[in-house]
Amino acid sequence: MSTPTIRKQKVKRTSMKTRLIIFGTLAALLLIGSIFSSHLTPYDPYLQDLSNAKAAPSMEHLLGTDRYGRDMLSRVIIGSRTSIYSTLLLVAIITAFGTAIGVICGWFGKWIDVILMRISDMFLAFPGLVFALAVAGVLGGGLHNAIIALAAISWPKYARIARSQTLAQKETVYLRAAKLSGSSTVKIVFKHILPNIMGPILVTSMLDIGTMMMELAGLSFLGLGAKPPTAEWGSMMSDTRSLITIVPWVTLAPGIAIFISVMIFNLLGDTIRDYADPKNREVRG
Amino acid sequence: MEKVLEVNNLTKIFRGKDKQDFTAVSHIDFCLYEGECLGIIGESGSGKSTTVNMITRLIEPTDGNVILEGEDITHIKGKQLRSMYKKMQMVFQSPIESFDPRCTLGDGITESLRNNGLSKKEANQVAEKVLKQCGLDETFMGRYPHEVSGGQCQRAAIARALAVGPSVLICDEATSALDVTIQKEIIDLLQSLRASQGKKLSILFICHDVALVQNFCDRVLVMHDGVIVEQGNPDEIVKNPKDDYTKKLIESVL
Repeated sequence: MSTPTIRKQKVKRTSMKTRLIIFGTLAALLLIGSIFSSHLTPYDPYLQDLSNAKAAPSMEHLLGTDRYGRDMLSRVIIGSRTSIYSTLLLVAIITAFGTAIGVICGWFGKWIDVILMRISDMFLAFPGLVFALAVAGVLGGGLHNAIIALAAISWPKYARIARSQTLAQKETVYLRAAKLSGSSTVKIVFKHILPNIMGPILVTSMLDIGTMMMELAGLSFLGLGAKPPTAEWGSMMSDTRSLITIVPWVTLAPGIAIFISVMIFNLLGDTIRDYADPKNREVRG
Repeated sequence: MEKVLEVNNLTKIFRGKDKQDFTAVSHIDFCLYEGECLGIIGESGSGKSTTVNMITRLIEPTDGNVILEGEDITHIKGKQLRSMYKKMQMVFQSPIESFDPRCTLGDGITESLRNNGLSKKEANQVAEKVLKQCGLDETFMGRYPHEVSGGQCQRAAIARALAVGPSVLICDEATSALDVTIQKEIIDLLQSLRASQGKKLSILFICHDVALVQNFCDRVLVMHDGVIVEQGNPDEIVKNPKDDYTKKLIESVL
């Protein structure tokens, strides 16, 4: 019988810093690339050229062309904008909304807390993607509705973190001191509570960027997100999935793009979480 | 002498689960006179902190009322409550924890001044002045609580409490978390502040150190199990305790 061992992972702060710089730079490159994506495409991503359809990767078309002869590399590049921007928008929405609800619950307590937390429980009770499918189905397809659907299922997590953090903050001595300073509730929340609870919330949202990117691509793949001809990685995969045995690159290209960006954001999130963990922090004065 | 703070029939009952109520403070009455330093002693759990938390409205009393400068403050709310804190301030036990780790000491000290409508510049000037009175120079304005020592931080906390010019200062075990030499410095500081403010500053001094109270306070209340068992001149109480609990408390020290 093997005895359970506790594995102590000693993360050196310097290596953590290096990782933070590497993944931070990669994520920044990805973002900058997506901002200027329209200038980076070698061809017009929407220009059809049926005479050159389903071309294999070559020097002219590095990732080949799809069934309408559109350059895949250009489409993957332009698709980054839709994918990354809608993901960031989605994460921003759920972070802001969930935090607001959580702080309200934690601060006011009593019946407000009970009602809002039961509502969030209701959202948590459904299996995530299925609920998102249902919402997107009711609202109809389209990128906006996909964002709304995913936002609806994802905010409770943030509300819970923000609520428990706010409850912990309420017990601190400095919050009592702030009350004695005659600060209003709004001032206390913005000056003392939010800055002190933002750490864990930001880490969660960094980790969520990867997840949300996949789920958005998933919804698009199922036809409930971005509509063709808009270049979006999920819908591009869906569009070309019947061709996977004949011309695999047209399906693989957006798939690998999703894989790489999700991985970069996940690793960045992980690194930030390690970095923010007080146990890994040097002892201060 | 005029009463600055009057506490009548103050009671706090914590409603536990299974209807097991716990009476932390039971019908206590006392008052604080102008310019006086009143000590409250008693063991942990005797209801001292609950009493001051009720007086400062950090927790709601179950019964009774608190009258500050002739105004009943037991049930005031919102703006009225916030402006009441101009007259009453508190110094906490743990100095470092009483400042927001993400704000500088200067931010903490000026917060109450800014809430009272002073401009940033004016507030900074006042804060620097009180910091100086408390024995710290203006460089402490820009420091964070983890960057200063416990004693310095407690000085800053006293400066924060005095910045708005309160008439009542409540020290809830303000020296308990500090070591002995720093304790003396803080007591000396409080004494000199009292002397410089004349009769304007009344202090409610919560403490479990009998000797400290004997040296520092004009009058003392002994609390046990939520009731005041004895009150009077500290020297007399130490020399000639009447209540059994007070005797035990004093014996345990000597």
